[in-house]
Amino acid sequence: MAAPAVALERKRKAPGMKPGRFRDVLECYLFLVPYLLLFSVFVIGPVTYGFYISLHDYHVLSTHRPFVGFANYAGALHDDLFLKSLINTAYFAVMVVPLGNLISLLLALGICKEGRLTTFFRSAFYLPVVISVAVVAVLWQWLYSTQWGLINYYLDAGAEALRQLPLLGAHIPAYTPIPWLSSPRFAMASIALLSMWWGAGGNMIVYLAGLQAIPETYYEAATLDGANSWQRFWSVTWPQLRPTLLFCLVLSVIGAFQVFGQVMVLTRGGPDFSTYTMVLYLYLTGFSLYKMGYACAVAYLLFLVVLVFTLLQFRLLSFKEVD
Amino acid sequence: MPSRLLRLSVLLVLLAAALLPGCGSSSGPKSADAPLRFWNGFTGPDGKTMERMVRNFERETGIRVDMQIIPWATYYDKVVLTLAFSDAPDVFICHANQMPMFAKYGKLHSLNALMSGPQGLPDSDFMELPWKAVHYGGQQLGLPLDAHPLGLYYNRTMFEKAGIVDGHGQAKPPTTWDEFLADARKLTLRDTGGKVTQWGFTFTNLRSNWYTFLRQFGGNVLSADQKRCELTSPQSLAASERMHDLIDKYRVSPKPEGFDAWEGFRKGQVAMIMEGIYMLSGLEEQKGLRYGGAPVPLFGTQRAAWGGSHVLVMPVNEPPERVDKVWRFMKYLSDHSLEWARGGQTPIRKSLIASPVFRTMPIQRAFATQVPYLSYEPLTVVGNEIAPFFDAAVQSMLIDVRTVPQAMKRANRQIQTVLNRS
Repeated sequence: MAAPAVALERKRKAPGMKPGRFRDVLECYLFLVPYLLLFSVFVIGPVTYGFYISLHDYHVLSTHRPFVGFANYAGALHDDLFLKSLINTAYFAVMVVPLGNLISLLLALGICKEGRLTTFFRSAFYLPVVISVAVVAVLWQWLYSTQWGLINYYLDAGAEALRQLPLLGAHIPAYTPIPWLSSPRFAMASIALLSMWWGAGGNMIVYLAGLQAIPETYYEAATLDGANSWQRFWSVTWPQLRPTLLFCLVLSVIGAFQVFGQVMVLTRGGPDFSTYTMVLYLYLTGFSLYKMGYACAVAYLLFLVVLVFTLLQFRLLSFKEVD
Repeated sequence: MPSRLLRLSVLLVLLAAALLPGCGSSSGPKSADAPLRFWNGFTGPDGKTMERMVRNFERETGIRVDMQIIPWATYYDKVVLTLAFSDAPDVFICHANQMPMFAKYGKLHSLNALMSGPQGLPDSDFMELPWKAVHYGGQQLGLPLDAHPLGLYYNRTMFEKAGIVDGHGQAKPPTTWDEFLADARKLTLRDTGGKVTQWGFTFTNLRSNWYTFLRQFGGNVLSADQKRCELTSPQSLAASERMHDLIDKYRVSPKPEGFDAWEGFRKGQVAMIMEGIYMLSGLEEQKGLRYGGAPVPLFGTQRAAWGGSHVLVMPVNEPPERVDKVWRFMKYLSDHSLEWARGGQTPIRKSLIASPVFRTMPIQRAFATQVPYLSYEPLTVVGNEIAPFFDAAVQSMLIDVRTVPQAMKRANRQIQTVLNRS
């Protein structure tokens, strides 16, 4: 991407460009053409067409698809279920983004220094990322099961062990399995937990790269100045890591707002709409009700929400302070 | 340099050329001789039964059929998209409650002329409700293949152990609310610590179970003109309360929170469940399980049992030269629907129900007695849109997130909003 930018820069600076220069520029763009072609056909085209569809009453089976302006957008904003899905998604993001990034950062700090088992841990922590969401969901469905799930099994065993204690034991009631996925109280948190497990390794790699990019000399200088390990982290690692942090946070927020696979496989939005997320809402509107105009409008609203959050993050965690 | 540019340009042109064919429609013309394309969602043992019937048809008629099984979860997406754009199959299976949408947009071929033609079938041979469910605006838009009502499955061993038997010492399933409740109480066993070791009854599929209660109390989701939601009617509330009582008041059924009721029944932890006839083959595979099937007991004031039908339909723009072939195929499957029934369905042709062969299928016969009062989910265009609301209402009241009136009131408001909008 840098090449044409540089070329354009030159072009601006030298209005009387030589023919040779022009050919350079052209060549740069020609190299970009394959990508641009694919990008136009598979991204810009559908995105533009999606906006066009969002302005129409577009049922897949109908041949009459009248223009309705922004009625689909207004409809979504007045729909309880859309607002519910927006709140649910925000709730999911609030759980997953800070905690997930904290876990990733801690993991990265833990495996940052080369040691005997570093490679093993790096692979182990990264492994969940390569599993597809459907597999992750099914795996956790078993873990969460109230009848034969491992989590409830160990909680039960733990409670039983406590009940065996001499005095205290008598006061501890028998354990009733926690309905992780089938109670509106726990369902979204359960989805968030598995999402963090699934995604932690991805951000960990990015944090690791960020940590390793910090020159060792900074730490040496800090040590010479008498900084302890906490001060080294707070005054060297943390500010140096801010661009990485911004990158991970922005991608996490985008990812969190697009949560879909887990809820689709595990709960389909239930129980009682407690895991009904925005992408699930738009998917079901598009592919269960076949109202594509409405679904596209929801997609654009989702885009706006993500855009607002991303801009906010850029503002709050701007690069400039680091420089 | 020019030669490099030239090479690059050629490469790009080739790339574009490779991409472009992918953009066009991939549908080939349906020629008269091409195999019939038949789509359905029978991914279970029913798929094997259907496959066998299709092969028999091919052997007997010489007409080739290309059957494609697509999981129900994504089945209608594919059907709708092909009907909308191109490449629709010649014949496909549609659930009766999905037909209103296809009918509204005029996507299905009328079968009126074929039914009354020389190769037709007598209307009078079809059971009334499945027959009515395929008619829209005076047009018959599909050929119903079966009915799949909800019924009561019970564990014979548990019944006999609890002494719930008839004069011959055989397990006796309940037929009324009082009998059902008494049996469920006897069949719910607890250990000394009060922990349940065996449940008398468990809700499996909440929608079908609730809908049966609702219709038995004379309630309904929508008014007859489909303009009003009636979930807050006294009948609806009474039906839902009775269902709720089984868990909270009588304690013969667990809350539907993570308890896999179907597995519970298969593994001998549950004495009674209500499931569709199509689950029968799943029980036949379970070793050591002695089970029986019976009509749903009378919980309310009138007989009703949730049910559906698989309907054979043809797209509206089927080429005329292929229509007769498709009809022959549809008719063959209907004529042979006893074989289909064996895999866990009930036939809806009166002549087949009366046949001696059907007498060899006791559970199918027991379930089939309910076809005269089969309760389809609301046959409306907004069916898919309103179902999540009553599903959520039923679930939330059974797990005590809301009281019955609260849950029904909320769903009523949500569904009414959908009705007003459309």
